[in-house]
Formats: sequence, C-alpha cells, structure tokens
Amino acid sequence: MSEMRETVIEMRGITKRFHGLVANDCIDFDVKRGEIHALLGENGAGKTTLMNILSGMYHADEGKVYVRGKEVTFHSPQEALRSGIGMVYQHLTLVPTLSVRENILLGTNKKFVLPKRDVEKKIKEIAREYEINVEPGVKVGQLSAGEQEKVEILKLFYRGSEILILDEPTSVLTPLEVDDFFKILKITSDAGKSIIFITHKLEEALSISDRITVLRQGRKAGEIDLQSFSQETKCEIPETIVKMMFKEAEFVEEIENIACDKPSLSDEVVLNLEDVTAKNDRGAQALKRVSFSLHRGEVLGIAGVDGNGQKELAEVIVGQRKVSSGRIFLQGCDITNMPVRFINERGVFYITDDRMKEGCVGNFSLAENAIFRSYKKEPFCKKKAILHIEAIEAHGNELIKKFSIKASNAKVMVRTLSGGNIQKLVVARELSHKPVVLVCNKPTHGLDVMTTQFIRNEIRRQSRQGISVLLISSDLDEIMQVSDRIGVLFKGELLDILPRQKATKENIGSLMLGLKNKVQA
Amino acid sequence: MKLGIVVKAVLGPLFAILAALLVGGLILFFIGLNPFRTYFELFKLGMGTHLGITESLKKMAPLLIISAGLIIVFKAGIWNIGGNGQFLIGAIFVGGLAPLLINGSSPYLYFFLLALMGFLGGALWIVIPAILKAKYEINEIIVTMMMDFVALNFTAFLVRGPLIAHPEYFPQTRLIPVGQRLPFIPFTRIHIGLIVGLAVVILAHYFMKKTTWGYEFRLLGENKKAAQYAGVNIKKVTIIAMLISGGFAGLAGANDILGIKGAFQAEWNPGYAFSAIPLVFLARFNGIAVIPLAYFFSFLAIGGEFMSRAANVPVFFVQVLEALMLIFFGVTEYMQKKGKLFWKS
Repeated sequence: MSEMRETVIEMRGITKRFHGLVANDCIDFDVKRGEIHALLGENGAGKTTLMNILSGMYHADEGKVYVRGKEVTFHSPQEALRSGIGMVYQHLTLVPTLSVRENILLGTNKKFVLPKRDVEKKIKEIAREYEINVEPGVKVGQLSAGEQEKVEILKLFYRGSEILILDEPTSVLTPLEVDDFFKILKITSDAGKSIIFITHKLEEALSISDRITVLRQGRKAGEIDLQSFSQETKCEIPETIVKMMFKEAEFVEEIENIACDKPSLSDEVVLNLEDVTAKNDRGAQALKRVSFSLHRGEVLGIAGVDGNGQKELAEVIVGQRKVSSGRIFLQGCDITNMPVRFINERGVFYITDDRMKEGCVGNFSLAENAIFRSYKKEPFCKKKAILHIEAIEAHGNELIKKFSIKASNAKVMVRTLSGGNIQKLVVARELSHKPVVLVCNKPTHGLDVMTTQFIRNEIRRQSRQGISVLLISSDLDEIMQVSDRIGVLFKGELLDILPRQKATKENIGSLMLGLKNKVQA
Repeated sequence: MKLGIVVKAVLGPLFAILAALLVGGLILFFIGLNPFRTYFELFKLGMGTHLGITESLKKMAPLLIISAGLIIVFKAGIWNIGGNGQFLIGAIFVGGLAPLLINGSSPYLYFFLLALMGFLGGALWIVIPAILKAKYEINEIIVTMMMDFVALNFTAFLVRGPLIAHPEYFPQTRLIPVGQRLPFIPFTRIHIGLIVGLAVVILAHYFMKKTTWGYEFRLLGENKKAAQYAGVNIKKVTIIAMLISGGFAGLAGANDILGIKGAFQAEWNPGYAFSAIPLVFLARFNGIAVIPLAYFFSFLAIGGEFMSRAANVPVFFVQVLEALMLIFFGVTEYMQKKGKLFWKS
C-alpha cells in the first residue's frame, strides 16, 4: 500500500559541513504522503541538521531537495513554509505572554487590526478536524508543555503546512501527554499530512512511525519499513535498529542487577534534612516539610514528574536557594542557608540539570570550566591570586582523557562541544573533587544512550566507593536502574521512601502521579 | 592560527574606521567642503606636527585610565555608564586637596596620596549604584548615569562655593604651581600620566586573564547563574568590580588636574568617559587593543580641534566620525556573526 503513496519530499545526497566537521554526509531521505517517518539517531548524528536544511534554516553544501517532484532551494524558513514545510523546534518558540491566538497570528498577519473572529473560526475548524483542543484566548505561559506543543502544531496547520517536522517533541512531555500527543499525530497522518519525527528514543519511533531512517555519525545507517514486517518478524526490528545505530561502537557494560550486589545500608547518615520548606522563583511553596536522611555510600533516588520541587530540593541542599524553614545537616554540621562555597568546601557537589545555562560557561575554555570549584586552590593558583594557566590546562586535559570527553584539547571553547560532552565535563568536574555527597538533578537528560550509560555507571561506581548520591530524576528507568532506595516527590512533598527491592515501576509510578501517597507494606 | 585570530579581530574596527571616514567624507562634500583637503588637514595637524602628536598622546592618558576600569566592569557584565561623574569627583577631590598637601615632604608621597584621593573620589561616587545593584538588583545603567548629573552639579557648587580660590575671578580651585604638577617623560613635553595609563590598561588586561579575581569577574559577566553555582559571592564581586571602575575614572580625573589643568575650573567637563565607552567596545574589551584605538580617538579629537581653527570645519565633525565608527562597528559585528564579511563562518 505504501508504494502507491505519492512521494512529497525527496532529499538526495545531502552534505553539510560546519568548520570542516561533516554533519551530514551524502544522505538520501524521502517522505511519502500521509506517512509518519521517524528520523532516529544518537545526539550529534545529524538529524536536526538534515531537517534544518529541509526547513530552510541551513543551506546544504551539496545535494538536492525535491518537493512534490520539483527541485527547490530554500533560503529561509519562510520559503519552506510557503511550500508547506513547517518545523517545530526542540525548544518551543512561542511567546509566553501572548495568547494562543496571537501566537498563531505572529508572523503571518498583515492586517492592522487583528482578525480575531476569522482566526478563531479557523482555529476551531482545525481543532475539530485534528482533535487539538486548545482555548485560543489563553496566554501560552499558562499552558503545560504538552499543550504548548499542540499550539506549535496548530500554528503550522494554520499556515497550511502539509509536511510537519517535529524535533524531539516528546522530550518536554510527561508520559501521559506523550500518549495524547501521539493520538494527534495519528489523526494528522490519516488526514493525509506527512510527519517527520526526530527522536533518539527507540520505543517512540517504533510505536508511532510507518518508516524509520537511522542516522549514525552524519551518515544514513539504514532505513526500515515497519509495514514490511509480518507479525512474527516484528520482534527482530529493535535488534536490527540497535545494530544500525551502534554498528561498530563498543557497548558499554550494562549495570548488573543492583539488588544482588547491594551491601546492606550503612548506618552512617551523611546528609540529613529536617522539615525543609522552600519557595520557588515565583514565590510559591515548592517544598513542603521534606525530611530524609542520606546514608554513606548509597544512591537515594528521588522520582517525580518534572516541576514537583526537584530543582528546589537540589538547590536548597547545595546552598543556591534559601530555606524558609527547617534544617539541613551535613555530617552533623548545620549547613542551612550557608553560602554555596561553604557547603561545597565541606564536600557537597552538584550536577545541575541545566548544563548549558548553569553548569558551564560557553565562552570559557574547557579548562576554565573545569576549575569552577577549585580556582582558588593549589595548584590552580598561587597565593589565591594568580592563576596557574599550565596547571589548569593540564587538569583539563586530564579530565578529557579520564572521562573520554570528545574535545581536541582543553583550550577549546565549551560552546563548540556537543551536549553529551558538556555533561561529561560537568560530571567529570564534580567527581574529580572526591565529593562526600553528590546531588544529581536529571544527570542524563537529553543525552544519547552511550553517554547516559556511561554516566549512570559512573554514579554507581562512585557510590560503591563511599560517596553518597542523591539522584533526582524524572526518568523512572534511571531511578530503578541506579538507586538503592527510592523516594517520590509530589507537589513538593516527599512521599514514601522504599528500598529498591520493594519498588516496582507500578507502585512508584502511581506515587509520581499522586494516585497514592504510601505504598502498603 | 594565533595570527589569524588577531587579523580577524583587527579587521572589524579597521573596516569601521574606514567606512566612517568614507561616509564622513560624503557629509563634508555635501556641506560644501573638500573631503580630501579636510582629511589631509586633519591627519597633517593631528599626526604630522610635533604639537599634534604631543597633544594627542597627552589626551590618551585619561582615556586609557578610564578604559582600564571599564574593561574590568564591562567584562563582569556590569554597565557603568557614569564614568564621567566619577571622573569629575576624582578631579575635584584632587583639585581641592592638592593645594593643602603641597608643602608635604616627599613628592612621591604627595603624588601617591593625590592619586589615591582621585581613586577614592571616583570609587565613592559609584558606592550608591554599586550597593543598589548588588543588594536590590537595581539597574546600574540608570543609576550611574543619574549620578553623573549629580556630580556635574555638585562639582559646580563646590568650585563656585567652598573651594573657590578667588571669589572675584573666574571660579576655580587654587592653582597648583607648575613645579608641583606631574613631571614630563624625559625628552618630551608629555607628562607621565601616559605611562600610568599604559601601565594600568595593560595591568587590567592581565588582571582579567590571570588572576582569580579576574576569573570571578569574567564568570559573573558570562553567566550569572554559573557564577552562583561555582560559589562566587556575587554581591561582593559586583561591588568590587564597580568600585574599581569608578576608582579608575577618578584616577583619570587626578591625572588631568595634576598633569594638564592645575586646577578644577567651573564649566570644565571633558567627557572622556563618553569616548572611553565606545572605545572599549571597539576594542572588544581587550586591554591591548584599547591602546591603538585610544591613540586614534585622541588624535581625532586633537586633529579635529586644530582643524576647526584652520579649515573652518565644525569641531563636532569628529564626534560625527566617532558616532559613524560605532555604527559601522555594529554593522561589522553583525556581518561577522553572519559570516558575510571577509570570511565564511
């Protein structure tokens, strides 16, 4: 049946270089009418670059693009839009203070007075046809990430896009929202529109798409038509794809079953929170009387859906946020509301969830980024005043080697590194100081499989050497894989803490969604 | 490799200067002047005569000293726009105190104390904006600028009131005798302020690059959240960076009183800081690059002044040139980012 469909997009031999680095190497790609085509690959495989070429953001160095059989050259996203190609970027591009209607009009309206009624009519039509239910008058800032994603799609429909490019649309969504979102995609493709779905999550690609193209290191590693598999051969698909994605790449050893190798919980309490309450940036209560103790050498996982106080919990412990009531003790020493450096010098280190805006400085070299915690210490400076450049660079190079960060040397600007390598740098920096307590907030968020596994292994290994880890994450798999004990944060309250053996995905999941607040013993 | 970076950095300002001269030439042409002759006069008077060179180099000193402070504070991401007010306060401190210190023992101590006074005066004038910025996050651009107006009127009051030397003459502070002013660099008529200026601007450059303080300042300027994460005491660093920059502006005031003027005169407001700000931007906050640009700026000012007398060109023509340079610098920045000028990104 798929052979009968008309090919709407055809890309032939696309090559794109950045500063001598080949991002896309002679890639062929096509999309048929009414098809969901997943573009799968690790971070930095060239997925987004390829789609940026299609959407007019970049210009290909070599290769041709055909839309409905006609060769085209786009010089801007506007030109691509006119040909019916619209892209939703990974980081949403809506204006939070404007309403849904105004956001949709943005950039398309040519009238002096906003044509409120026309727009509303059209939005309603689209909403009915594709079952996207959004109130046009609401400010976008009040919508959840999932609803905002819908508005982005609505915007493209309004502009008459026939081909939608979605760049990792699910990375900001909760599991429930993902299901809802996928329903919309199905309806859309059934209505004859084509969808290109960029992702690095295999399950998602398998569950939603008709075809999967796998990219690896800028090259096309293969293409799979899911329809061509019979019910019996279907189970082979994941294996085939994994092979495509990591053909010669070394596999990182899987973490062995934690339940087996786990020594009994140490009696020594390293970090202790007593009734900690704190506000978020908007002044609303973010943490409500949170109490727990972290023991030596354990990984305490804190699960929870994003925005339930995770960030605030981490910041309160490391001293970046004030506690409004309650106490925090580190090895018996009261560190409540102490400055960041005071707490840090007593052994608390922090892997932030915002590696780009908080964990590093893009315009600093790798070496300079590696001394955030130690620039006032020997050997990186003399007498706390003069920086010792050679020692700093040597330290940077050492981290590159030890954590296999992909950078030519320690002098490169961090902004030129990929997200995974920046995260490795952050992890390397925090671990290189032999922490007593390591606070991690979403340490593998948005990273490829290899780096994710590497970081999880590293956290595991460090905890076995006596470091206590507080692992905050919304990724349930991660929590289950790495933690010794698991607690759940829901609306700022810490619900039950369970030993790993008693935790199942179901009972943790229901705690995360607030369906229960205790697991019956 | 390293050379390539330098060439790249030089091309932008160079293009801006040439484009400004070109458009400035057109303006001259339209107001009925011969652009070639005017520019020839400008360069001849500013760079080709002994007097022009000496005056230009003298004028460099305050620009360099103010720039040294601006490099530090701008790199820390703080916009001290009120350098002019800090300059005036530093100057009036020195103008008021120098006559009282003249009979002191050693000239070294005398100059040191006065330099310190100038520095403290400038620093004092930024204390309020610094505290407001650090404690309450009040925008320093507005507060420093407002403090500039206060300084202008406050110094006018002082020089006409408590500090006036002879009430019946033109209002100014007591004149410092020529023998008590800054000595000349040997074999020239340029006072040693130029050496001080070169020294502080180079010092500021390496201070930012090679010290832990400089590291903290840059960290704060690049990314405040990361600075907080790294444990930098943001309030302290903000205040220190601002005090340093205010202090240098005040030091420049001391330099002008002790090197050139000899007294603080009413209506005197050279506005160096307003040239130093664009200058530091043109130099991309690089202390070494500030030096040639400071020379070019002071050459323009001096050449323009001489030329206005000789060739009937309005004095503010050089200000038009300065403004054009900045506009074109903005254009080159934009084009270089887009990779459309001189090389592909």
